[in-house]
Amino acid sequence: MKRKNSIMGMAFFGPALVLLTLFLFLPMVLTFGFSFTDYFALNPELTHFVGLENYLNIFKDELFVKSFLNTVKFVLIIVPLQCGGALLLAMAINRAAHCKKYFKVAFFIPVVMSLAVVSTLWMQIYSPEGILNTLLGQIGIQTQPFIHSADQALPSIAIMSVWQGMGYQMIIFLGGLQNINPALYEAAEMDHATSWKKFKDITLPELKPLCVFVFITVTIGAFRMLVQPMVMTGGGPDHSTYTIVYDIYETGTVNWEMGLASTMAIVFTIFVVVLTIIQNILTKDKEGKHVNKKAKKN
Amino acid sequence: MLTKKQKRINWILVGFLLLLSLFFLFPVLWMLANSFKPDAAITADMNSIAAFVPPVPNGSFFENYITILTNTNFVRYMANTLFYAAVLILLGIVVNGLAGYALAKIRFPFREQWLLIIMMLLIVPTETVITIHFLIIAKAGLLNTVLGYILPMIVNPFNIFLFRQVFVSLPDDVYEAAQLDFCGPAKYFFTMVLPMSKTVVATVSVFTFLNVWNDYLWPSLVFTSSDLLTAQIGLNSITSNDNTTMGQTLAVITLVTIPVIIIYSLFSKQIVEGVTSTGSKEG
Repeated sequence: MKRKNSIMGMAFFGPALVLLTLFLFLPMVLTFGFSFTDYFALNPELTHFVGLENYLNIFKDELFVKSFLNTVKFVLIIVPLQCGGALLLAMAINRAAHCKKYFKVAFFIPVVMSLAVVSTLWMQIYSPEGILNTLLGQIGIQTQPFIHSADQALPSIAIMSVWQGMGYQMIIFLGGLQNINPALYEAAEMDHATSWKKFKDITLPELKPLCVFVFITVTIGAFRMLVQPMVMTGGGPDHSTYTIVYDIYETGTVNWEMGLASTMAIVFTIFVVVLTIIQNILTKDKEGKHVNKKAKKN
Repeated sequence: MLTKKQKRINWILVGFLLLLSLFFLFPVLWMLANSFKPDAAITADMNSIAAFVPPVPNGSFFENYITILTNTNFVRYMANTLFYAAVLILLGIVVNGLAGYALAKIRFPFREQWLLIIMMLLIVPTETVITIHFLIIAKAGLLNTVLGYILPMIVNPFNIFLFRQVFVSLPDDVYEAAQLDFCGPAKYFFTMVLPMSKTVVATVSVFTFLNVWNDYLWPSLVFTSSDLLTAQIGLNSITSNDNTTMGQTLAVITLVTIPVIIIYSLFSKQIVEGVTSTGSKEG
């Protein structure tokens, strides 16, 4: 029976295991290994082990540093707008007694549209003669260059991304809001608590694990920024929208410098993994306290 | 019951949200309305509310759409993507479903360790390995082939985990009965387990479809031949062509969006549940 189980287990798990090995374990090992070499895919015979040289060099490389700072700027604009916007929207929709269904759909529509579609659409919207400049002109604001200037391209793309992504987190928050025990609010109402106090003392603490989750996933999402600048600006003007993942992609698949690209990928992965670990620690901790609090109440 | 004051607040809130939703959707409304216009009309309408109103239907109403459907390879790109999505949904359910089942029900060696590894793999972002995927597929001589595109996309740790979570709660006695019966384990999986788990199968299918349909980076790396392109890459090659007018560009992106809107309207329940569960699982 035991033998039969291990044969059957492997028969069921085997196909996935083969693919996981080929397309996840092997690539991860290779990325790690390559990151210590000057592996150039067009001339693999000339590969040397270079130790930590790549890791030191990428932080001296002006373009990588710039793409790193750009990515940080994307994160700093996107995270507060997208998380805050999604939470406010969810709270408003949760309180509305009519048209709930319509609101859920309307604000979710951009989420199902693809990055390529949204980027192409907003290129038209942001164009100098486009609809946004026309609308701004009607309220007396002069024509803005948006994605055509090094100053405005990054915030323009960031705001578009917030517009596209926000509906996803809104749905998550709505789910969380609906799970809050209405008795908590009823009790607060009997104490004549103000709306702000209810928000601060009930809504926020109840939503805390969800807030951490949304905060970290949006941060990781913004950290992975690639397709929007790729389609809209090609990373320009003047590399002002070039991101870490864009640099990894170009270094690896256009210039074939797999060694360098792997180093960048490892640095990028470390950031993502650290963020995920922080999230796990924070949410676990909060859950623990949460349970304790409830236990004490009983 | 709402008091009078609460009713008034509610109407202000609903009115505000209605206005906000129109403002929020203005890019989409503009896209739809102008995809039916020639460029001259798009420019002429820009300054008035007409920019958000489709033209009066006449002989040239579908002009942009007809040009895209007849003068470009677009239908081919859409058909390609539908085909890839169908293949990946089927293979994905079989491969990830079988693995999820093994992790849930079959006591094979190192099962718990494998489960832990799968959960750890959920953290690794695709960007980490995508250049190596490209290298592997290039070395295997599979660039610009359907196989090269599909192979790295079949297995998905998240879907394995999702299947496992559902299968773990299936009753054991049915499985044991099936073992004694002549019906083999594989047959049991396809005729009993999968049909009993319609919800997770639907969720995985819908998300696989959306993923394949909307994916940009991987198909843009693998495909260079115009015959094999997916809709997203095809859309980019059409709109970056200088002969494509603004109206045609809007028509293409509308066409690419139609299938996901259909899927969304048919499966919005699964999608919302899937989205909410990512939150509740972690949070």
